[in-house]
Amino acid sequence: MIAERLDPAVVKSGDHVIIRMPSTNAKIVCIKPDNMVSLGKFGSFKASELIGKAFGHTYEIEKGGSIATHTLAGFDNADITEANNQGIVDNPLSQKMTFEEIEHLKTMSLAGDVSAKEIIQSLTENNEAFDKKTEFSKSKYILRKQRKFMKSFVPLETSVFNVCGYFFEFNPGKIRGIRIDTLSQVLSLANVYSCARILAVDDGQGMVISALLSRMAEGGQVLGIHDGDVSNYDVIRYMNFSPATKSRLQSLSWSKLHHNVEPFTEHLPENASADDMAGRERRMRGHAKLSETLDNLRRGEFDALVVSTNYNAKSVVEKLIPYLGGSRMLVIYDQSKEALLEAFDWLRKSQSFLNVQLTESWLREYQVLPGRTHPTMTTSGGGGFILSAIHLAPAQQDC
Amino acid sequence: MFHQYKTFIENGDLVVIYLNYDSMLTVRVATDGSLNNKYGTFRHNDMIGQKYGSKIQSQYGKGFVYLLHPTPALWTQVVPHRTQILYLPDISFISSYLDLRPGKVVIESGTGSGSFSHSIARTIAPTGHLHTFEYHEIRAEKARKEFVEHNLTDIVTIEHRDVLANGFGVTGIADAVFLDLPAPWDAVASAKEALRRDTVGRICSFSPCIEQVQRTALALDEHGFADIRMYECLVRDYEIRSLPLPSIDEAIDGQKVNFKLNKNDRKKRKLESGANSLTSQEDGNSEVMLSKPVDNARGHTSYLTFAILAPAAAS
Repeated sequence: MIAERLDPAVVKSGDHVIIRMPSTNAKIVCIKPDNMVSLGKFGSFKASELIGKAFGHTYEIEKGGSIATHTLAGFDNADITEANNQGIVDNPLSQKMTFEEIEHLKTMSLAGDVSAKEIIQSLTENNEAFDKKTEFSKSKYILRKQRKFMKSFVPLETSVFNVCGYFFEFNPGKIRGIRIDTLSQVLSLANVYSCARILAVDDGQGMVISALLSRMAEGGQVLGIHDGDVSNYDVIRYMNFSPATKSRLQSLSWSKLHHNVEPFTEHLPENASADDMAGRERRMRGHAKLSETLDNLRRGEFDALVVSTNYNAKSVVEKLIPYLGGSRMLVIYDQSKEALLEAFDWLRKSQSFLNVQLTESWLREYQVLPGRTHPTMTTSGGGGFILSAIHLAPAQQDC
Repeated sequence: MFHQYKTFIENGDLVVIYLNYDSMLTVRVATDGSLNNKYGTFRHNDMIGQKYGSKIQSQYGKGFVYLLHPTPALWTQVVPHRTQILYLPDISFISSYLDLRPGKVVIESGTGSGSFSHSIARTIAPTGHLHTFEYHEIRAEKARKEFVEHNLTDIVTIEHRDVLANGFGVTGIADAVFLDLPAPWDAVASAKEALRRDTVGRICSFSPCIEQVQRTALALDEHGFADIRMYECLVRDYEIRSLPLPSIDEAIDGQKVNFKLNKNDRKKRKLESGANSLTSQEDGNSEVMLSKPVDNARGHTSYLTFAILAPAAAS
C-alpha cells in the first residue's frame, strides 16, 4: 500500500518558526508578511522573504533584508600537522588590526557592504599567531569568528523535538525542565498512537500535551486536567497545529472534577438585548462543553494517564486512576526524583500496578569531526525522571 | 492490535502473559486452548471475555498470571531475539528526532527482530508507511509472519533484500531513513536516493562502534547531508528502600543500631519497644525513603548518528 505523502515542510504565513543564529542562539518568531525579523548583530530580514521557503537550508541575509539560500558547509577536513601550541603565547598584540578598524568593518557588514567572509579573512591575515596554530586550532578560530560575524540563519520547524529543545535550552522552567529524550520516552511508555484517548495533567505550559497532540490523528483525544479556571497550555500556540488537531484537546479544571451537571435552564429576560442573547448563547456553549468534557472523563477507560505536575504526584494519581483502563500505562514525569519517591513506593505496594519503574534519562552529545571525535564539552545537567507502571483492570465482581 | 487498543479479550487475540517482572510471553488465545507453566494450567476459555489487565487463576487455583494488551514496548520485552534489538530509550529518541508521527513514510534496514518496526508502525499509523528491509532470509520470513499475525500489513512492507549490495530500490518516497547495518556508510548513497527531495529528509544510523560512526559521518558529509549530530542515549533505573537514619548520638550513648534488620524485624522491634518507638521517632529515628541506582545497568547500546538532507533547490 502506498501512503499518501504529507505536504512538504515550508514556512507558511502566520506560522511560528525557530530561527537558529550563527552563534547557535535561537528565537521563536511568528512569520507575518509585513514584519521585519531582527536578529540583532546578525542583521534583519523581511519575514515575507521566508514565506514559502523550505526548511533544511541556511539563509544568508543580504543588503536590504532579502535572503538567499546558502548551502550548509560540510566538514572541514583539517589535517593533522606538525604544528603544536609549544610556541604560542597569549598576546593581545598578535591582532594587528585596531579595535576601531574591526568595529568599522562590523558596521559595514551590518549595512551589507562587507561580507562576513571578508571580515574573517582580514582578521586571520592580520593575526600574527594564526599561521603558528595547528590546523585544528585554525579551523576552530574560523568557526568562532563565523559564529560572531556570519549574517545567516537556519529556520527550524516547530516540531516537538525542536520546540522542546528550544525551551529546554532557553526557558526550562516553563516546561518543567523536561528534556526531549525524556519527553520521547513518555510518548513511548504511554503508548501514544493516532487514535488513543489520553488523560493528561501538564503543569508545564502544555509541552507534554503538545507532544501528545502531535501523535494524534482522527479518533485520538487528549483530556487535560488543570488548576484554576482556564488552562495555560501556551506551548501549543508555537506548534502550528491544524484546527483539526487542536480540536482533539479538551480541558477540565480540577475544581470541576466532582461537578454535577444540571440541565441548562437560563431563560432570557423579556425584551432581551443583543448582549443578553449573546451572553446566554456563550454560557450555553460553555455549559454544553463542560458537560461533554465531564461525560468523556466519566466514560473512563482512558488509554494512558500522563502526568507532569507541581502538585503531589501520588495525590494526582489517586484521583485519576479510576479513569484509566486495564493494561494501560501510567507515566509520571518530574525533574526531581524526590517528588516521585512517595508515589513510587505506593505504586510498588499497590495490587493494581505491575512493572513499576523509576528511571533517570541520560543523554550525551558528541562532536564528530575527522580526527576530533569526543563528547561535547558542555551538556545539560540532567533530563528528568520518569515513574511508570502498567495499570491493571479492577477485579470483576461476578464471583 | 499494536495501533488499536481493545478492552476485552476475544478468541484469536494476541495476549501478553505476565508471569513476573522478568518473565513474559505471548499467547494467541483459542477456544479450548491452554497454557502450561510452573504456575499451573491456564485455560484460554478463562481468558476470553476478560478485560485486558485482568488477573486469572490457574485451573486448580494454584497460581495466577496477568493478561496484558500487546504494545510495542511490551513486544520489545517479549520478542524472540534473532538479533541485538533496540530498546525503549533509543527507540523513543530516534522517533522524535526523525519527527515520526501519523502519515510519515519511513525506511528501515535491517528489520532484525522487528522491535523498532512495531514501534514505528504504531507511531505512523494509520496513514503512514514503513518499508523495512532485511538481508537475512530466515529473519525476514519470521518478521513477515509476525507483521501478518499482528495485522500490520497495511502499514508495514517487508522485503528480503541486501541493501548494502543492492540499495533500497526506491526513489524519493521517504520522510526518514533508519540504518542499523554493519557498514551503514555503504547504504548512504541509496538512502539519499530513497529520501524525498521536495522537503527536508532525515536519517539516523545506529552503530555500536565509534569507528563506524566516523566512517558513516564522512559518507553522510560526502553525499551532501548536513547538520550531522551524534548522541548516546541511556536510562538509569532506580530502586528505593526505607531505612532508619539514626543520629550518631545513639552510638555515643553506647547503642549499636542493627541496620541489617529486614523490614519485618524492624516492624517487630518497633512494636516491642512500644512507647519508646514514639520517642525514637521524635529523635529523628523514623525510617527515611532512600533511592539508589540498581546495581547492574545497561552501559552502552549504540551511537545514534543523525543528519538532514535539505530539499533540492526549486528549479
